[in-house]
Amino acid sequence: MAPSTIRGFDEYLQSLPPITFQRLYQQPATALAIFRRMLPSLAKIFVTTLLYNDRPIPLAELQSWVRTESYREREDAFSKLRRLHITQERAGNVSIDPIFKKNFRLALTGGGDHHSFGVPVDASDDRKKVSISTLDNYAANQFDCILHYMVEPSGQRQPNPGVKILLITSGLMKQSERGHQPKITQAGFSFILQEGNAQIWALLIQYLEMCESLQMEKTEVLHFLLMLGSLELGQAYSTATLTQTQIKVLADLKDYGVVYQRKSMPDRFYPTRLATTLTSDVTGLRSTAASFTQALVAAGPVAPPSEAAGESGFIIIETNYRVYAYTNNPLSIAILDLFCKLGSRFPNLVTAKLTRASIQRAIANGITADQIIDYLKVHAHPVMRKNVLILPPTVVDQIRLWQIEGERMKTTPGFLFKDFASEWDFQDTARYAEELGILAWKDSKRRLMFATRTEQIVDYLKRRGEQQAVGRKV
Amino acid sequence: MDKVDASAHYQGVTEDKPSLLVVVLDTNPFAWQSLHSELPLQTALSHILLFLNAHLSFSHANRVAVIASHTKSATFLYPNSAAAAETAETSVDLYRDANKYRLFASIERQVQSSMQRLLSSTAPESLAGTNETTMAGALSLALAYINRVCNADNLSDSGEGSGGGARPGEARADTASMTARILVVSVSGDLANQYVSVMNSIFAAQRQRVPIDICKIAGDTVFLQQASDSTNGIYMQLQHPSALLQYLLSCFMSDPSTRHHLIPPSQINVDFRAACFCHKRVVDIGFVCSICLSIFCSPPPGAICTTCNTKLDVSALGNYGGKPAVVLMKKKKIKKAKKVLNDSAADSSTPGTPVA
Repeated sequence: MAPSTIRGFDEYLQSLPPITFQRLYQQPATALAIFRRMLPSLAKIFVTTLLYNDRPIPLAELQSWVRTESYREREDAFSKLRRLHITQERAGNVSIDPIFKKNFRLALTGGGDHHSFGVPVDASDDRKKVSISTLDNYAANQFDCILHYMVEPSGQRQPNPGVKILLITSGLMKQSERGHQPKITQAGFSFILQEGNAQIWALLIQYLEMCESLQMEKTEVLHFLLMLGSLELGQAYSTATLTQTQIKVLADLKDYGVVYQRKSMPDRFYPTRLATTLTSDVTGLRSTAASFTQALVAAGPVAPPSEAAGESGFIIIETNYRVYAYTNNPLSIAILDLFCKLGSRFPNLVTAKLTRASIQRAIANGITADQIIDYLKVHAHPVMRKNVLILPPTVVDQIRLWQIEGERMKTTPGFLFKDFASEWDFQDTARYAEELGILAWKDSKRRLMFATRTEQIVDYLKRRGEQQAVGRKV
Repeated sequence: MDKVDASAHYQGVTEDKPSLLVVVLDTNPFAWQSLHSELPLQTALSHILLFLNAHLSFSHANRVAVIASHTKSATFLYPNSAAAAETAETSVDLYRDANKYRLFASIERQVQSSMQRLLSSTAPESLAGTNETTMAGALSLALAYINRVCNADNLSDSGEGSGGGARPGEARADTASMTARILVVSVSGDLANQYVSVMNSIFAAQRQRVPIDICKIAGDTVFLQQASDSTNGIYMQLQHPSALLQYLLSCFMSDPSTRHHLIPPSQINVDFRAACFCHKRVVDIGFVCSICLSIFCSPPPGAICTTCNTKLDVSALGNYGGKPAVVLMKKKKIKKAKKVLNDSAADSSTPGTPVA
């Protein structure tokens, strides 16, 4: 839909080949992180049930635990487990992948000798104590620096060359001509409007893809990233057990503000809040975003004076769609320019207007109405916050309506199924797809159907085929 | 951007609320002694710790608490400030520590050390003649803790990374939506002495919508069955105590929000009997004070209710076996008088009393 190169972590992980999973699950910390972050809760229960069961359990038995109304959740759980190669199915029996089983058990019991949860260092000999607020400031500064650079490449604060290369290879910025400063792309703009944790993951996934061209072992990088999520904020960790690749990664992550390392102490590193929340669940992410905003505010003295003075909120919106932004921060103004028609600029104030054209231009660039509304809400001026509804409801509704206006036609990427052998075959498959909620369209007369995913249907057809084969023998 | 992700319609599934699990462990030494051949306490404890780890690995925001229901007291095994201080002092082998998720390690150490302390502080003479456990105390501790975590703690910065520094408004919305449940690992029998307080805890849990799951390893307690029944919890009598871990991981793993997708392990018929207030005996048929609904196994001496001091009209009983007026008063929870006559009442009445 949008000109975007950004993929979520989930999608990235699912696109990996099975052999990579085998290697990933060799580290207990990774097994734990994937279990925690990737699986729906029903799937987690299936895993714990199977974990200490040495004999495979009939699939039908597991299925019978779930209420028939929750059919969709059940299928989703099983398909996730299959896609992440956590379960294996043989002749109607389910069992857990032996490597995953062994290492997830190790993660829970804490046995073995793998050091995959990071080796803590006693930091009491450190002369300068590294406090949590130092880490938060550092993370906020580093990340802010990247965002600033994207908006204003010629600004004073320049990120490290590694970051610049990453931004260009990922398509968030574009080098127009040799020798010129790179410029931000549309994908870059919608990246800026994303929520904090999604941004970090987007960068890290780009980083992972870049790793391959740098001859770095992808699984080692993934191990390291997922390990970061299980570390404790404010605790120093040793670099002694890291591999060569991982030390290289560490240096790069320092630039993103994911880890903190002091020059005088190269043998240890501190994960920041950005790191420790990498593998959090959804609710965790939200509060991270909030705390991150706070950290940004707290980082006042280092940030440009306008931010230090004006708290986090600077935008006033009137019911007549006029926007007054008390800021002289180029980043903020550039973001406003994405979806507002800018009017005039004063030393501490920018006036703008939300118009149908400006919103639709933003939407055409891949920014959603919700992103705009969220941005306005988060950065609303304290005066606006006194209202029960922070933003005027008319404006919020209108932004949404302007978005819907453009949605007369919707594209759904997916797969066309045709040439069904029999009417029953077609009806049965279509019914299954419909129950899963992946059926986009069907034509019973011509026996055609269009589904958004294939994996589950392929699995289903395979299983059905097996059952029929068994039935025929009997 | 979200629309790019084709799995948009699955998002409802992944958005689970964090959940709090409070394990109430019955630590009655006599009961564990009799179980020793099948399931030593140490093994059971390690199974429970593994279960806690599994619960914590479900989500970053999940939390646990462990409460020991001992012979004469109920104490927190985790979180336990004394044990935390102690384990912090003892320098840990840092290198070995890297093999374990830190949260798991700290919980394990705290539970083990506070358990040690609890057992060593129990003098043999103090055990004389008690084969009970302070279940009511432990349940109230659990409920109080749940209330604190789900409602009160959200304003103060818990400092546990996930909630730290969030804006107060958001934090409240987030933690109030935290679900909680209690798991009672019970080994000892009768709780008749604590009937009233246990029942009150059960009703409090019911009000807070906290399911009480019962993992019954040995003994039989009617009231715990009622606890799980009235709070929509799971009651499980273990056939093979040595397989405690498997039971825990497969039957008791689901948090309240997942539970409505699952068919609960089948509940056998619940024993709804009550205990009398005068002798703490479990009665099949009892006498209920018409004013305060106290239950007696036989009409109280002098026909005066021992709870509310009301002068009761015993003559209404007539020859017990007719229709006592109290039966008409009964409400749902007082539906305790049932079918068969109990021994104590048998000599004063005729069997086969009709009960509606």
